[in-house]
Amino acid sequence: MHLLSRMLKSMPVCLYALALFYGAGVSAQESLKVSGKVADNNAAPLAGVTVLIKGTKTATVTGPDGGFSITAPSASAVLVFSYVGYQIQEVALGGQTSFDIRLAPLNANMNEVVVVGYGTQKKREITSAITRVDAEQFNKGNISDVSQLLQGKVAGLSIAKPGGDPNAGFTIRLRGLSTLGANTSPLIVIDGQIGADINSVDPNDIASMDVLKDGSSAAIYGTRGSAGVIIITTKSGGRGGPQVAYNANVTAEKAARFTKHMTPDEFRALLKTTGAGTDYGANTDWDKAITRTGITQDHNLSLSGGNQHTSYNVSINYRKGEGIAITTGYNQVNGRLNLTHKALNDRLVFNVQTSLTHRNSTLGFANAFEYATIYNPTAPIHVPVGSINDIAGGGWFEFSATDYSNPVALLMQNTANMETKRQNIAGSAEYEIIKGLKALVRYAQQTINLDSNKYSPINAYANRGFDPNNDNGFSRHGLAFLGNGESFNQLYENTLSYQHTFNDFDLGAVAGYSYQDFRNTGSSILAGNFVTDAAAGNISAALDIPYGLATVKSFKNASKLVAFFGRVNVNYKNMAFLAASLRREGSTVFGPNNKWGNFPAVSGGVDFSHIFDLPSINSLKLRASYGQTGSLPPYAYLSLPTLTVSGSYYAGNDQYGNTYAPNQNPNPNLRWEKKAETDIGLDFSVFGNRLTGTIDYFRRTTSNLIFNATVPVPPNLVSTTWENIGTMTSNGFEFLINYDVLRGRGLNWTTSVNFSRAHVVLTKLDPSLAGSYVGASNLGSPGQEATQITRAMQGQPIGLFYQAVYRGVDQNGKYLFDDGKGNAVADNNNYKTVIGNGLPKFEMGWSNTFRYSKWDLNVFLRGAFGHDLINTYRAFYENPTVASVYNVVKTKYYNPKVNDAQLFSSLFVEKATFVKLDNATIGYTFALKKDGAPAGGFRNLRAYVTGYNLFVITGYTGADPEVRYADQSTFPPNILAPGIDRRENWVLTRSFTLGVNLGF
Amino acid sequence: MAGACTKLDETKYLYDTVDADGFYQTDAELSSAVGAAYSNLSGIASNNHYLTINEVTTDEIVVPTRGPDWGDGGRWVRLTTHTYTSTDPDPANGWNFCYSGINTCNRLIATLSKYTNPKIPQYVAELRGLRAIYYLWLLDWYGNVPISIDFSQTTPPSNSTRDQVYALVESELTAVAPLLPHTGPATESTYGRVNAYTCWAALAKLYLNAQVWTGTAQWDKCIAACDSVINSGQYTLTPNYADNFSKENKGVPETIFTIPYDHVHEQGNNICMMTLNGLNQNTYNMNAQPWNGFASVQEFYNSYIDPVQNPGPQGMVVGTDPAGDSVTGTLDKRLSNFLVGPQYGSDGKQLQDGGYEKSGGGYVGDPNGAPITFTPYINELQPTAWRQSGARISKWGFYSGMTQNQDNDFALFRYADILLTAAEATARKNNNWSDPYALTIVNQIRTVHGGVDPYATMTAATFLAERGREMFFEGWRRQDMIRFGVFNNAWRFHPADPSDALGPHGINHLNVMPLPDVQLNANKALKQNPGY
Repeated sequence: MHLLSRMLKSMPVCLYALALFYGAGVSAQESLKVSGKVADNNAAPLAGVTVLIKGTKTATVTGPDGGFSITAPSASAVLVFSYVGYQIQEVALGGQTSFDIRLAPLNANMNEVVVVGYGTQKKREITSAITRVDAEQFNKGNISDVSQLLQGKVAGLSIAKPGGDPNAGFTIRLRGLSTLGANTSPLIVIDGQIGADINSVDPNDIASMDVLKDGSSAAIYGTRGSAGVIIITTKSGGRGGPQVAYNANVTAEKAARFTKHMTPDEFRALLKTTGAGTDYGANTDWDKAITRTGITQDHNLSLSGGNQHTSYNVSINYRKGEGIAITTGYNQVNGRLNLTHKALNDRLVFNVQTSLTHRNSTLGFANAFEYATIYNPTAPIHVPVGSINDIAGGGWFEFSATDYSNPVALLMQNTANMETKRQNIAGSAEYEIIKGLKALVRYAQQTINLDSNKYSPINAYANRGFDPNNDNGFSRHGLAFLGNGESFNQLYENTLSYQHTFNDFDLGAVAGYSYQDFRNTGSSILAGNFVTDAAAGNISAALDIPYGLATVKSFKNASKLVAFFGRVNVNYKNMAFLAASLRREGSTVFGPNNKWGNFPAVSGGVDFSHIFDLPSINSLKLRASYGQTGSLPPYAYLSLPTLTVSGSYYAGNDQYGNTYAPNQNPNPNLRWEKKAETDIGLDFSVFGNRLTGTIDYFRRTTSNLIFNATVPVPPNLVSTTWENIGTMTSNGFEFLINYDVLRGRGLNWTTSVNFSRAHVVLTKLDPSLAGSYVGASNLGSPGQEATQITRAMQGQPIGLFYQAVYRGVDQNGKYLFDDGKGNAVADNNNYKTVIGNGLPKFEMGWSNTFRYSKWDLNVFLRGAFGHDLINTYRAFYENPTVASVYNVVKTKYYNPKVNDAQLFSSLFVEKATFVKLDNATIGYTFALKKDGAPAGGFRNLRAYVTGYNLFVITGYTGADPEVRYADQSTFPPNILAPGIDRRENWVLTRSFTLGVNLGF
Repeated sequence: MAGACTKLDETKYLYDTVDADGFYQTDAELSSAVGAAYSNLSGIASNNHYLTINEVTTDEIVVPTRGPDWGDGGRWVRLTTHTYTSTDPDPANGWNFCYSGINTCNRLIATLSKYTNPKIPQYVAELRGLRAIYYLWLLDWYGNVPISIDFSQTTPPSNSTRDQVYALVESELTAVAPLLPHTGPATESTYGRVNAYTCWAALAKLYLNAQVWTGTAQWDKCIAACDSVINSGQYTLTPNYADNFSKENKGVPETIFTIPYDHVHEQGNNICMMTLNGLNQNTYNMNAQPWNGFASVQEFYNSYIDPVQNPGPQGMVVGTDPAGDSVTGTLDKRLSNFLVGPQYGSDGKQLQDGGYEKSGGGYVGDPNGAPITFTPYINELQPTAWRQSGARISKWGFYSGMTQNQDNDFALFRYADILLTAAEATARKNNNWSDPYALTIVNQIRTVHGGVDPYATMTAATFLAERGREMFFEGWRRQDMIRFGVFNNAWRFHPADPSDALGPHGINHLNVMPLPDVQLNANKALKQNPGY
């Protein structure tokens, strides 16, 4: 009872107590002293290696000579040797008391297991492009999203989030744009659960991530594999007594770069020359006023262990973060249970995985960053109540203009909260029928609930920031939004797998059936007119509801996927490898004649190091693969002639009725988008595994591209139709090289470089679209909604900016443009051409890891090269004439002579190549007392400091030169319009994290 | 969810939309389906197409660039200066509006013919009439547009000539008018619907412009179509002009065909938002902040108050000087079309705008300062028109508690317009602007609606000015100016258009709009109008 009450009071203390209790039981047995030395493959001693008696908390570390000495509880004990960057090695004492241990570096481990679709394979047998990233290679520091762990780590995998909004997601692209369909981000598979939300797992609970890059490895996932696959494996328990790990860190984050604009004095000086604007007499730094140093903390506690039948890993994670924008942040609790039980002499294996995540986010308003940039710098934040500029009566300075409101008031007065609940439940049972033949049944479901509530109080003059229709609490006398949505899917799978060795051939085969259904539901209400702000929590108090002025929406849609699949692998004497797979998949979302698609793949490889005796070469594998994957459209029902409530009509006698009309042009011929990909790769390991690497070349053709194309009206009902519009081809090249520069005694240094390039061309458009462009995107509001700035054209690369070419200004300050014949003219409508490309020519990551004694240092640089960005801040506000209301954006391109309306041209396109010092971590692993006696009861203890985004080298003048892979200003995002730096983005941030890892 | 599941019929998974194949069964479903052809009209009284193409291109209306507001990439300035291009939003919006309506009519005509219900023949006639009205607008705006009347035709159509479109409108309206109810404005079942008189009113407009559109005048046919309306006995002039446009204007005796706007059920009359100053929110206790855009121009406003142009009783009115000082002028009752002078909050205090334009660097600021005063004078078209400048459009009377969607119904065809059409056709037929019949009609309208003095004689110019005073902002000014040959002349903010004869039947190419670039890009069978 004593233990239980303490458990209720404090989880960490209780687990520590459990560990002590267990440890006491073990030490009752007969003990003996063992010693030895640890070295690497080249016999260089390794200092600081942790030596643990398995199943206990007894541990020590090796000295500078690699030597160790420890007291083992019995002759049957097992020693576990672990060291960052090396494989963990377990050695049973077996009566021995002296040991000479060689640890192999991780990246040289060709027997390492890689997770592939519906199974695992030894790394040496892999014949397609798969990259595995283990937990210790993950990015450290201020991690708010799982995808951040991989940023820059995998050649060909681009992960980007412009600005530092802790509640915004990352865009993930593998080998560039490969599909125009539903999933331009890779498919996520968590412990076999297909299509799981990447953030349904806490970063601390991930053991490894395997990235399936080419068509052949992804083809077994058929329909959703076109953008690649990321397989996440969570930590599971091992044998032995409970092990407790506690990880914690605290982060301080600040804004690193703002959009440059005029200071109050510069603005005042400008008003003297242009007139029309107003000097309100104050000096306000709006950027500073809306930001702060955000403090984030992160705690993770896990408990794992097991016996010969049952093993478990249980964890609880808590994160609480403050955004750099005042009033923003989140807190998140995640709990996970992974349980494995073996029965019937280990022939029957049960697995249960459940995960629950609950996140509360205070989102704030991204427009605050825009308004801070363009708000009059001479305006005060507050004004006396009742004065001219107290428009809404709350004492905040406000001014009536389009897309303009006091950013401090916007954040302070209005609220926007989101509550997210993610629930994942999965179970499987596998039975070994005869040796090598196993049958598995798996069920998994995922439920994600989103609850959103927003309120703008009665005296809040929030302009566009609060609501896209300009509505706000002042206009509507209090305005509340309440919305909820649920997305649910369930997966049921049967597989039969077989492993057998015939003479020199190792054979593996798997076949199965997969069923998955999806359902999305939701509703929302927007209503205003409250008697008092105090009633805002009860939306039924809004008078808009009885007056018929509330907006109510709801939706419900569903779809399902059914698939049959199989794969065969053959390994001939570790020399030659062959694999082939096929998935036949059907979906409800296509027309009656096009529901099913076949997705075959074949791949092979030869390891020359096992055929020829090659000096200095540890392995040299050449592989080639071909595979087809598919893509679904982002919406269901596109083939059906559906009707929906479209408006109302007068039905006489003051009655109005709902009208029903088609909401789309039905396309019964819509079919699977298909991607065929060929990949040729070389994996090598030379000079005693000191230099290892992987090189890949790929070529992809995506046909029947699914896109919402503009169609003529008439004969069509509406101006866009989801169609199969054409073919896109890409080719690319990527490599990853690791080199152990210094090895052995003293300083160790490993350097690792990855490089990727993908060139994507829209090779063919459907004849009905020949000569047309698709994917145009506009500069936007206010007033530039018809200014098209991007497009995709047949025969041209994806990502084009298409507009007038800037040629300077005339004597009167009017903009001049190229007329296509070399003349500078005033007309910007006459000649338009390609003026940039939003996608990078190549991307690189460069990681350096240093170890000296108990210190380790990792420095990670990441860069994207050759992309352009459209700086929309400059396109709207870098013009002295806007000073009649707005502050003027002032970068190195500012031209005080301009006296013209803002007309878009190449002037606002900038090169945005950058190199960021993304992540630098310095860590120290504390020496535990020799002889295995616990140092304060710890099994291990490490402390580290991480700096994130320490510097950026770029010529770009905006806040963040990060690649914009898609235009997020529309829904769904326009993937054919990359490279637009929109104004509603947070600014770039820099952060420092202090963390500890503790083991009991 | 069993393992044998391989059935993929999607209609089993349809929840928030309905399958068209099961619809059109009950009277309610039929009525709801046909209603969709009308709900498309709700976009008319807004700043998207109908009122921008028909009014901002003329001497009635301007949307000045007020500093950073209403610059909109030069869209409004290009409408005023007749430099509109195929990539501008207004030609594209107008096209989408008309063809979306036409497609709905085509779809319903094709669909309804598959079912048997006694109401269907009249629905089909009504839909044909409405479709012809969309073509009437296309004919006016673009001229050479594709004719699409068969829903089963799925190949992108090519242009027809303006004459062919004219012939289609004429034959359809003539065919369906006799089939439709002969009901007046008080009949609830046809209020806001196409009836026989709607078709004749539309035919009157077609024939009135026949000379411009086809090169052949049709004055007799025009007069006959007007007479079908005038002699029906269903319509009279509303004694109080402003009642035609008020919040409670349902069923006023001049309404031939109207959009029955409602702030809850039939949203889209946004005129208050387009024209009022943001701070006028306080004047009318609105639940939205107006956009401070559309305004009239001083010369047009002056055509009401100038005793020479518009003789009548004199009194104090807001003048056309920069400060909008009071002057003596004609008290035309139709001055209710404009909101000018000092603006007050609902508490009776004058509204204050701290951001009024100050003088500096050669720029002359607003003489009225922070207290808001709407002046018919507008200092410049761009880039920094004063926020308070321009007479505002208060024709569709504002009221306290107004939302951004006004309740005022917007008449597309109004009896006074048909009277003026009959007068004009008669004057033109007899080649005499002082024709007695024409004079009688004009003077009846001047007396009843304006409370101003009758004319003894008229010229083309005085007739057009009278049409302007009566029909302000009702969407007819563009075709009126073209028909009177003044659309290409110079007026304030609009320099004279370069002359050419590239348009249909040798008219200036600017007198038809460009076909939208988006459509030309999507449909290679389409040809742009010459000159663009």
